[in-house]
Amino acid sequence: MTWPPRQRASATPRRRPLDGRGVLTLLLGGAFAWSLATVPWGPDLVHPGGERAIAQLLAAALRPELSPPFLALALEASWRTAAYAVAGMTVAVAIGLPLGVVASGALARGALSRLGAVAATRGLLALLRAIHELVWAWLFVAALGLSPLAAILALGLPYAGVLGRIYAGLLGDVPEAPLRALRASGASEWQVLLYGRLPQALPDLLSYTFYRFECAIRSAAILSFVGLGGLGYQMQLALDDLRYGELWTLLACLVALVVAVDLWSGEVRRRLVA
Amino acid sequence: MMFVLDAVSKAYGSTVALHPLSLAVARGETLAVVGPSGAGKTTLLHLLGGVTQPSAGAVWIAGRPLASLPPGRELARLVGVMHQQLDLVPHLAAVHNVLAGRLGEWRLLRSLVSLVAPREIERALAALERVGIRDKLYERTARLSGGEQQRVALARLLVQDPAAIVADEPVASLDPARAEDLLQLLTGIARDDGKTLVASLHSIQLARRYFARIVGLRRGRLAFDLPAAAVSQAHVDRLYDLDERADDLATAAAR
Ligand SMILES: Nc1ncnc2c1ncn2[C@@H]1O[C@H](COP(=O)(O)OP(=O)(O)OP(=O)(O)O)[C@@H](O)[C@H]1O
Ligand SMILES: [Mg+2]
Repeated sequence: MTWPPRQRASATPRRRPLDGRGVLTLLLGGAFAWSLATVPWGPDLVHPGGERAIAQLLAAALRPELSPPFLALALEASWRTAAYAVAGMTVAVAIGLPLGVVASGALARGALSRLGAVAATRGLLALLRAIHELVWAWLFVAALGLSPLAAILALGLPYAGVLGRIYAGLLGDVPEAPLRALRASGASEWQVLLYGRLPQALPDLLSYTFYRFECAIRSAAILSFVGLGGLGYQMQLALDDLRYGELWTLLACLVALVVAVDLWSGEVRRRLVA
Repeated sequence: MMFVLDAVSKAYGSTVALHPLSLAVARGETLAVVGPSGAGKTTLLHLLGGVTQPSAGAVWIAGRPLASLPPGRELARLVGVMHQQLDLVPHLAAVHNVLAGRLGEWRLLRSLVSLVAPREIERALAALERVGIRDKLYERTARLSGGEQQRVALARLLVQDPAAIVADEPVASLDPARAEDLLQLLTGIARDDGKTLVASLHSIQLARRYFARIVGLRRGRLAFDLPAAAVSQAHVDRLYDLDERADDLATAAAR
């Protein structure tokens, strides 16, 4: 016998010329080409005067508005946006984590009760995240008026849907062997969750939560267009009055917020792994 | 009797891992299971530990049928299993992996609080002291060496305090000196606490030195079951003989 054993020819997968994936690729490629064809290419693509506006916008990047009163305003707007994002994420985690745990099927012992719990919570999570935060915002503003609570809920609910969905996947995907060992020493499913699932999934749970936190800052800025104040609202005012310098200052604030979250996330993860 | 296997067999699909086999292990006995790779050692130990159910035959643990002992607190008081892959939670500090041996006795709230402020820390300390790594109490388990993790797994068993310990290749990943240390520790614990010990090993020398009785497995069958002193070189040669005909001759001679 020879070592290593020669691989049999049938072991190498042969690609069929047009499998399901190939068809899908063709379809998507075709759709893209078609969408290009629908663009009215020509001198009217950018509306008249648009080129001048873009030039002004870019020129303003070199002289952002830095007067102390405006800086104070930008700082206040940043603070408000960050506060909405933090509060929204708090709501999202508070709702998403318990739903995610149930949706992972980690707590149910019987096959039937697991199926029921998983299907019900997955459905609820899907409903929460199927509706965009802007739509939630309209709903809550209609119901509660222009209050911070409307913004926080509008942000928190769809984010809970996304977080719960991902949490369920992460908690269900941890290595099984340590969990079996915990059950063998008499642990209940709740204890297995605490001592096996959560610790093993924690690094990924944190990474993903921080990533969504960055998204929440972006969303909070957008939500403030609805009239709830914050960076997005100020940007809208600046754009309406063609004060491009202010726009750049506000954009810089937004970038700074996202970078700050990223740094914080890195620090937390570094400590966790150390 | 701590363990009784009555005509027990185990098959995974069409692979027969263990042919019908009967075996009794008395309380306090130390038994080594030896045999080449794939002989069925892990399968046998998993049956003793209540990790898997037999395909046929009956397993009795401390006089109770295995079928009546689902994984849980009762089984945990009777048998503790140390798997070949240890199965610790690498992200937790050693102390929590050790105290996990108490989860069967703890309420949920106590287990939750313990993750922040460890409960019954003196038990964890005593166990880690006994296995010789007391200073690693708050070290993350992933950062411990293979030998230290082995000791954490053993400390968890000490804290669980079952009547019998089943250890699958507890020294497979250790250098010869540490392997002797660990076996000394394991058999010492069994002797001092009156625990039954069943362990699979690859080294016949270690089995003879540290265990009272040796069971040889070969291709899912019992090759021999003897007091350690009665195991001769001929037994060993036959067990590890790569020539498959030797096996057929042996079964033919037995008829
Ligand atoms: N879960 C399983 N599914 C299918 N076959 C299995 C499974 N577990 C074990 N086997 C088979 O059963 C036989 C015995 O395996 P077992 O793990 O008990 O051997 P072992 O003596 O512990 O070997 P090693 O010394 O390599 O650990 C092998 O042929 C193995 O392939
Ligand atoms: Mg094995």
